[in-house]
Amino acid sequence: MKEQLRTLGRTLITLALAFGAGYVIMQLSGKDALEAYRVIFESAFGTPRALANTLLAATPLIFTGLATLIAFRAGIFNIGVEGSLYIGAFTAAWVGFTFTDLPGVLVVALAFAAGALTGGLWGLIPGYLKARLRVDEIVTTIMLNYVAIRFTDYLVTGPFLVPGMANAMSEQVAPQAELPRLVERSQLNFSFILALIVFALVWLLMSRTSLGYEIKAIGSNPTFARWSGMPVGRIILSVMFISGLIGGLAGAGQVLGVHYRFVSGFSRGYGFDGIVIALVGRNHPLGVLLTALLFGALRNGSSTMEMFTQIPRDLVDVVISLIIFFVAVDISFGWLRRRFGKQQTTQPQAAGD
Amino acid sequence: MDVLDFAVNLTASSLRLATPLMLAAMAGLLSYQVGLINIALEGLMLAGAFAAVAFGFVLGSTWGGVLAACIVGALVAALFALFVTDLRANLVVTGLAINFLVLGATAYLLQILFDSRGTFAPETLNSLTPLQIPVLSDLPVLGPILFRHSPLVYVSWLVIPLTALFLYRTRAGIHIRAIGENAEAARTAGIRLRAMQYLALMLGGVLCGLAGAHLAVGELALFRENMTAGRGFIALAAVYFAAGRPWRSALACLLFGLFEALQFRLQTMSNTPPQFFQMLPYIMVVIMLTLISFRKEWHKGW
Repeated sequence: MKEQLRTLGRTLITLALAFGAGYVIMQLSGKDALEAYRVIFESAFGTPRALANTLLAATPLIFTGLATLIAFRAGIFNIGVEGSLYIGAFTAAWVGFTFTDLPGVLVVALAFAAGALTGGLWGLIPGYLKARLRVDEIVTTIMLNYVAIRFTDYLVTGPFLVPGMANAMSEQVAPQAELPRLVERSQLNFSFILALIVFALVWLLMSRTSLGYEIKAIGSNPTFARWSGMPVGRIILSVMFISGLIGGLAGAGQVLGVHYRFVSGFSRGYGFDGIVIALVGRNHPLGVLLTALLFGALRNGSSTMEMFTQIPRDLVDVVISLIIFFVAVDISFGWLRRRFGKQQTTQPQAAGD
Repeated sequence: MDVLDFAVNLTASSLRLATPLMLAAMAGLLSYQVGLINIALEGLMLAGAFAAVAFGFVLGSTWGGVLAACIVGALVAALFALFVTDLRANLVVTGLAINFLVLGATAYLLQILFDSRGTFAPETLNSLTPLQIPVLSDLPVLGPILFRHSPLVYVSWLVIPLTALFLYRTRAGIHIRAIGENAEAARTAGIRLRAMQYLALMLGGVLCGLAGAHLAVGELALFRENMTAGRGFIALAAVYFAAGRPWRSALACLLFGLFEALQFRLQTMSNTPPQFFQMLPYIMVVIMLTLISFRKEWHKGW
């Protein structure tokens, strides 16, 4: 408990530093930084509708943060959630515009299931290569992201081209496949609820199941896990499948809840944000949820800030990247050190948390 | 004659498109050899591209912009190195953070300094003048293929042998490779780990700066948000495809340049989807890594 409080304290200091740096940058650019932060806060939390939009912006980030968390806890550097997200999104859209005769609940369930399955299978490619052939997952997952992005782009400009459309996008899903909205005048929809369910499930998985125990075991001490007879290869496969599956759900949620079709290149780096969120959230489900909400608020508030204060919203990206730098420095996960320890560690291993 | 024209045109444009890839790949190679995976190539290039246009515009000299691009590339790389070596931050996370930072910062500065959104193409800024060699540039086929390029194309051709020489024939290069082989052993042998990592990353920063400068002022004279568009990762793919060999990496870049040149030509001619060529470098590197690992496991008696 004391350790967790200390972690929380460190995170808050990190955030304060990043926002402080953002303040300095804005002042140097001759802008009113306090006003900017006030507008961001107001437009992120000020009214029920603003709050709903923050939750909307946070929804895909909750999914991708949790997807990354599971992999990180197993010591797998999965950067490929973005790819699973695209594959899952297209599959969900395909179900949505193909099975137009099914009743709403069924087509939604089918679309989510199909998106999760294909997203998971996509994650299994680098998973299999790592588990069986020990191919480093960092490079393969990065590369497969781009394959997924280009491949889905091909699908909507080739076989699933909708003639007369200015942008590369698929047909619209059947009306009954559109997720119900939760509040008026906001696009906040059912996929937020699903994100919370997945959050609870991930927490249970990590803290209450034997798979969760095994995941943490191979993450914190792979050699010990192997010697104590754990099926390390199979655990890696499970982790990559679950991670990809949650990524697929993220994509499906955006398609069925926001765009109602697959739009080429629709993700604004949600998968990459997930990496950051898992790190800032200290690889704990609750930390990930809170960080995703914070990032949702920043993204949601930044466009209003730009409108009212003429400060480019890209400032928020700068602040977020500063958060990453500060978090990356004081990271104390044992496995992260070990992973690159050869080049980086000059002192004996610090006790990890 | 049409076929010849097509071939000449295709070859020349492949060489041109390969230039930023080759420069960035040599940067990625230096990191690879010192045992660090450089995810930040993309951001370093973008920083170079922005610096080339911004400083070129302010100084009123395109070459001044190119020089500034190299310096900015080296400085951003120094920041990367500071986090990775001294602050012991995670390599991949820091690399991604550099990419995020440069993407956000260039877009922010574009609006704050030049009041432009998306694209900045100052009228007073000229692109680098293509080479005009009296006789050679006028040669029929060879002229357009080899002798009419923007100056940085030739720089990239020089950089490849220089990188190879540096890594295999100089003391610093050999130290860098020793660290990549086995950092502990290298340190025990008295090699200055930190200095070599800084050197490899910052030299890479200079090369990425040049790569970005070529994109920005090599043929055009403009900066566009996110104008590197994933080229840093294609360069990284080339390095891993070639398992860290300089000449093979350069050849892979030429091949990827050819893919880029082919994608839109073949789309109009034979209906081949451009995405096919866009995916190919990434698929090839995954297959190559698989084959390399497969061979390793096989030798171990798999």
